[in-house]
Amino acid sequence: MHPRRATFWALYLPPVAWVGLFFLVPLVLMFALSFRADMQGELLGPWRPGLTQYEAIFAVGSYWRLLAISIGMALAVAAAAVTLAYPIAYFLVFRAGRAAGICLVILMIPFWTSFLLRVMSWKFLLGSEGVINSLLSYLNVISEPLGGLLYSRNAVVITLIYVWVPFAALPIYAALQRIDHELLESAADLGARPWAGFRAVTFPLSLTGVLASFFMVFIPTVGEYVTPLLIGGSSGSMFGNIIQDFFTKAANWPRGAALSIVMLAITLVLVAIAARVVNVRRLLG
Amino acid sequence: MLTMLRRLFLIPVLLALSIAACSQKSEDKEVAQTSGKLAVLDWAGYDAADFWIDFKNKYPDAAVGFEIGSSDADIYGKMKAGTQADIFHVYTGWLQFYVDEGLVEEIDVTKLQNWSKVPESFRIIGQFNGKQYFLPWDWGFTSILYRTDKVKGTIDSWTALHDPKYQGHIATWDDGPGMVTVSSYIHQYDETAITPEQLAAIKAEWIKQRKLNLFYWAGEPELIDAMANGDVWVAYAWQGAYATLLGQGVPVAYADPKEGRNSWVGAYGIRKGTPNKDLALRFLDEKLAEATASNVVNQFYYGVANQEVMQGITDPALKQAFSIDDPTVLQRTNFTPNLTARQRDDWTAMWTEVKAAP
Repeated sequence: MHPRRATFWALYLPPVAWVGLFFLVPLVLMFALSFRADMQGELLGPWRPGLTQYEAIFAVGSYWRLLAISIGMALAVAAAAVTLAYPIAYFLVFRAGRAAGICLVILMIPFWTSFLLRVMSWKFLLGSEGVINSLLSYLNVISEPLGGLLYSRNAVVITLIYVWVPFAALPIYAALQRIDHELLESAADLGARPWAGFRAVTFPLSLTGVLASFFMVFIPTVGEYVTPLLIGGSSGSMFGNIIQDFFTKAANWPRGAALSIVMLAITLVLVAIAARVVNVRRLLG
Repeated sequence: MLTMLRRLFLIPVLLALSIAACSQKSEDKEVAQTSGKLAVLDWAGYDAADFWIDFKNKYPDAAVGFEIGSSDADIYGKMKAGTQADIFHVYTGWLQFYVDEGLVEEIDVTKLQNWSKVPESFRIIGQFNGKQYFLPWDWGFTSILYRTDKVKGTIDSWTALHDPKYQGHIATWDDGPGMVTVSSYIHQYDETAITPEQLAAIKAEWIKQRKLNLFYWAGEPELIDAMANGDVWVAYAWQGAYATLLGQGVPVAYADPKEGRNSWVGAYGIRKGTPNKDLALRFLDEKLAEATASNVVNQFYYGVANQEVMQGITDPALKQAFSIDDPTVLQRTNFTPNLTARQRDDWTAMWTEVKAAP
């Protein structure tokens, strides 16, 4: 084998095998499972494929409504996370100077703690005996704890934005770093004020990072289930919770698999539409 | 003559040697049965050594590993998916499936030294088709737990979970079959034969209740925290939460609803086809032994199938939690029946619709 070809295979085979084994195979299994009628018999044994699960899902309007709500929440979280992350990334690239490295490490600190701990910390912030209620009570602003802070959809959205902001900053940071500083200098030389330079040069050139960041937050947030489970309360469920319920509380894996496939298909369609609308290819040059 | 003497001498020597060899072999076999590895599929918390301490002390050469299941459905799913756990722990309502699908081994109770401590009323819970498939172990009540400083008067009905007076301060268990059970008590439905119309009414009832409910609890610790800090005043709860809160000095009461309390029993089964069946049996036997059984009572505040341990309870909080001084409590208790696969699928799907509803 030609050495270059051998190097190619040595580099690409392990990740391809890894993704194939632990991503594609489970996905195919999930797809196959969604055509089972129930859990009777051996799970990996032969079964007669059917559309029972999909028919059941289409018959329940509330599942579709919840999927729409989850997509709306994911859009809001992604938009807010990107908006908050952009100034952070901008500061790191253009203003932090020598401190950029340390600032980047500080940005990464939340990743050193468990995701669950970060979500749980919001329970202590928003709870009836939490930091916010205690402070307001201490300041005599309230006599009774505010009940609506925790166990609501708003609490879920706020927590998810907090969780995603550091992640969202990274692709934007990478995109901003790639911008040739001479372009900004040229804009300034041609009389562009800082804001005009930002609008005409910096922001358009960072859009790839902004989009990557947006989708990086949006896609997993649609299927989020841990955060609503912990702080969403009775009315804060998302579509991911229904999927999780079918797997871990109902022992109905085929229904859970069918719901997962529906969510995956709709998310892919939305991403494809968005990519077409914003014309990613043109952005990528 | 010499040959004869030699023979006479040799025969007992050979006999003695062969007996010694056999006994050595038998001892080897004994060692093999009391050592090795056991995998237990159990609930979080039950993996603590206190809850299998007798086995640990008696069989120090046996290694026990735990796989954790988060719910009955999760454990059932793991068993269906082919987990290699030798022993698994499930609760009433979910036992029948394992027998129907050939996932559980019959238990030879004649090999259990502690079996005599288990009363017949508990034994029958693990019996199917005249065979003992499960070893009943922990048990408890389900009722309404409430804060006596927040709720005026006493609660004497399951309808309290639907009472607008407690809006925003109610917490129920995140479990479809559990909520069908509550509705069947309230409306006097036959829990074993819920009709589609009744299920639709139950769904509507719980969708309406969602506006009053603060959160659906998945584990006792989150319920206990919320009741202790005053967020939740009225809750569907197991008596473990009641005893814990009593122990913490939180003013709570455990209702004796006119429709009756619910009671559940946890049982251990041995996976069909396990190569460690003998060791698994020994493990189950030691689960019933005194120290292990006492620990589940004293630490989790659950009852245990070993009646000697239950009769020895002196702690007033535990006596109150188990209603030990009330001889009629069991007559007023509804025991969780086994679900069919159809009921399981319909009731759990109903609950997801409640959670997804506007």
